[in-house]
Amino acid sequence: MRGACVFSGSSHPSLVEAICERLGTKPAKVQLKKFANGETSVEIKESVREKDIFVVQSGSGQINDNVMELLIMISACKGGSAKSITAVMPYFPYSRQSKRKTHRGAITARMLANLLNVAGVDHVITVDLHANQMQGFFKCPVDNLLAEALLAKWLRTNVPEWWEAVVVSKNPGGTKRVTSLADALKLSFGIVTTDRRRPHQQPSLNASMLNSTIFESMGTNGTNDTAEMGRELEEVEAIVEVSDEDPHAPIEQDFAPRNATPRTHADLTENRARRPSKHRAATAGLAPTLRTRVINGSSDTPSSPLARSTRLDSVGKEDAVMPDDSEGLGLQRRYTAPGIEQPPPDDDGYEASDGDDEGDERARDVITGRLIHGHIVDDDEVHSPNMSVQSGSNENGEGSGQRDSRSSEDEPLPEPMAQSFMSTASTHSRMLQPQYGLGGTGDATASDEEEEEALKDPEIESTVTLVGNVRDKPVLIVDDMIDKAGSWIAAAETVVKRGGATKVYCMATHGLFGGDCLRELDMCDEIEAIVVTDAFPVPPEKRRQSKKLVVLDVSGLLSEAIRRNHHGESISQLYTHFD
Amino acid sequence: MAMATNSIKLLTGNSHGGLAKLVADRLGIELAKIMVLQYSNNESSISIGESVRDEDVFILQSTEPGNINDHIMELLILINACRTASARRITAVLPNFPYARQDKKDKSRAPITAKLMANMLQTAGCNHVITMDLHASQIQGFFNVPVDNLYAEPSTLRWIRDNLPVRDCVIVSPDAGGAKRATSIADGLDLGFALIHKERARPNEVSRMVLVGDVRDRIAIIVDDMADTCGTLVKAAEVVMEHGASQAIAIVTHGILSGNACEKLNNSRLQKLVVTNTVPHEEKKRKCERIETIDISPTLAEACRRTHNGESVSFLFKHAPLD
Repeated sequence: MRGACVFSGSSHPSLVEAICERLGTKPAKVQLKKFANGETSVEIKESVREKDIFVVQSGSGQINDNVMELLIMISACKGGSAKSITAVMPYFPYSRQSKRKTHRGAITARMLANLLNVAGVDHVITVDLHANQMQGFFKCPVDNLLAEALLAKWLRTNVPEWWEAVVVSKNPGGTKRVTSLADALKLSFGIVTTDRRRPHQQPSLNASMLNSTIFESMGTNGTNDTAEMGRELEEVEAIVEVSDEDPHAPIEQDFAPRNATPRTHADLTENRARRPSKHRAATAGLAPTLRTRVINGSSDTPSSPLARSTRLDSVGKEDAVMPDDSEGLGLQRRYTAPGIEQPPPDDDGYEASDGDDEGDERARDVITGRLIHGHIVDDDEVHSPNMSVQSGSNENGEGSGQRDSRSSEDEPLPEPMAQSFMSTASTHSRMLQPQYGLGGTGDATASDEEEEEALKDPEIESTVTLVGNVRDKPVLIVDDMIDKAGSWIAAAETVVKRGGATKVYCMATHGLFGGDCLRELDMCDEIEAIVVTDAFPVPPEKRRQSKKLVVLDVSGLLSEAIRRNHHGESISQLYTHFD
Repeated sequence: MAMATNSIKLLTGNSHGGLAKLVADRLGIELAKIMVLQYSNNESSISIGESVRDEDVFILQSTEPGNINDHIMELLILINACRTASARRITAVLPNFPYARQDKKDKSRAPITAKLMANMLQTAGCNHVITMDLHASQIQGFFNVPVDNLYAEPSTLRWIRDNLPVRDCVIVSPDAGGAKRATSIADGLDLGFALIHKERARPNEVSRMVLVGDVRDRIAIIVDDMADTCGTLVKAAEVVMEHGASQAIAIVTHGILSGNACEKLNNSRLQKLVVTNTVPHEEKKRKCERIETIDISPTLAEACRRTHNGESVSFLFKHAPLD
């Protein structure tokens, strides 16, 4: 390539070699070392004046050194009068910190984008950003390449009967990535979600920060018990949500007066019967596997501001015939603040063509299991392990089984999960990190790290829910990165032991493999293969740790993106047709 | 009225907890609670355990040899976290400004990393910088925000007066660039002054040296802004001893002491190396008994206090607060 230089950072030289070989050039000369005190030193050894510069830097164990090195290299090229500077970052560091997870947390990914900008970058090429929205952090153009086509190609050549396979997301936040692969290969898909049970409910952190109306209502009850406080809060929320008897009226209008009135038993029951027509919704984003869900939403109100998401599930009746109070509380927990977990309206319409013929049945392909120490355990009290897969009238069996297995009646019950996927997601994020309610994020991807911690904690028993039918089919668990093993193993065991899947393939773009992750995945019998790309360097000693590991080459994708960028050609073909 | 509730919050990363504690004690406040975690791939993650909304935030971060880039990222993330948490003003207190020596394009295509650092600090959301004995004062001009460059000189002068027979001393600059610093100290003590001219081959390696001035039968005090691998200081000590000095003592502001600096010092003719505590060096003190410490935390604390209260900082350029 005339007028272009490819510089390699120290994180992933082998990838740069491969890229340069495909481009028919050699990596430009640069001396990277450290001063005695550990400061990074960069010497650009050839002229960059009026050239297109591509600096390739991924991550590694020394990620902050890699970041500084990249910034200094960009700055040096800028100072050396380069025409344009493109940062090629197959793995974007700090991409998991793309939003404020806790109070006063930093949005480090945005800061890094700004740092690249001040260093003097003109263009960024990256692969499978953790969140697509991060492209908006930059002032310069970003090409977010997708490794999906690579994974799809591997799949078609290496997985027997791949057309039978089911693509599974191991958390609700990653669903979009999964559906994209499923759509490309015309496969069906499913979701595994983990939901932490709280044996002893902690006073929620946000209790002190919620608005004063809540304290008002607590004062009238005269309760100071912290455990009670949590429940009170949820009751209040539930009431806030269900209180709009007139669906046309805005919720806010009902808020204050409702809270002030003493809540009676009858009040709750009455509201519960009504509630589904308004807030039990949110199945819109789900693809064909959930089609069994039923609509009987005759009371749907198109003029409501929430009209797009108010389609009904089948739950109204059951709730109405179960007047048990503690049970009711358990159910109410599922309803979080309105507005946070609205389904994306763009996917709306999936269920529009479904008929009413299935009456009040629940979704059939929903399976739950218990997860202790990150592994699936048998739930002895459940009558049949595969109760909810084949039979259409198993709700009661499953429900009572789950209830018996628990000591306390007011534990949250898994039934609502069976009714609404989105409500599961909201509960999930809220139970793990109560602060989310304030952080303003309803995105479950934030919980990755916390989820891993929960899986490790022996005190915590989680309920894992599998949505989608995987029986006798190979399963592809897909996410954007593999860092810790816990959630992958939990998901793999769930689909095999509970769902009856034949084989499990773990697929991700970035194989970070922190700690003992690779060894743990290798030892998990349910997993057939672990497929990653070499966008993030997988050192040879790690590759030797696992016989199941497959590392795909992304150099072709990156070199093509570099070539097209240099010559000013479109790169949009790379999103779909790359082989 | 809102101003009245505004108070100092002092935060620190993992780099130099000891100094931060001293500054906090001096200010009579507690260090703010923060949690610094590392992801399994060594990305730093930070959460700040108390509210900083509308507070005057000071973030003290030094850099320890070996983990400099980690400490820089930690600092930037801390600044950014406070910025997004609605702090009123964020002041980075960098006793030892990292990458200060890469401040010019001395070769073709050499990066001006000190400028990059300045840009990065501002991008992260820093409103003010307090630092000490910058390698080159011009670095202040790299920033678009105010930079207070404090001097360790008043503390150094006090240490010399308290610990050495001042009349028998001579101040020596180990290189031409440090002549200004050395003359300033010499003037402060009303002493003579000498200079060593050196020809530097490569960074961290020292070659021929020529002494200009008289050091005979005096205690030669070699002053510099930083002691990294100590090659310069050891060579300079050789030179002054060869020229008949009775004793060679070095006083530097930033004791980075990387590599095998401790062994070099132990085998050198340098009797004493006096450093300030801008860089953590407790470990090295155990390895090398010739190292002594001047505590500059009162100066830093006073600078923070004066900045917070809107008082003049320039008083500190000439005076060290009393212990």
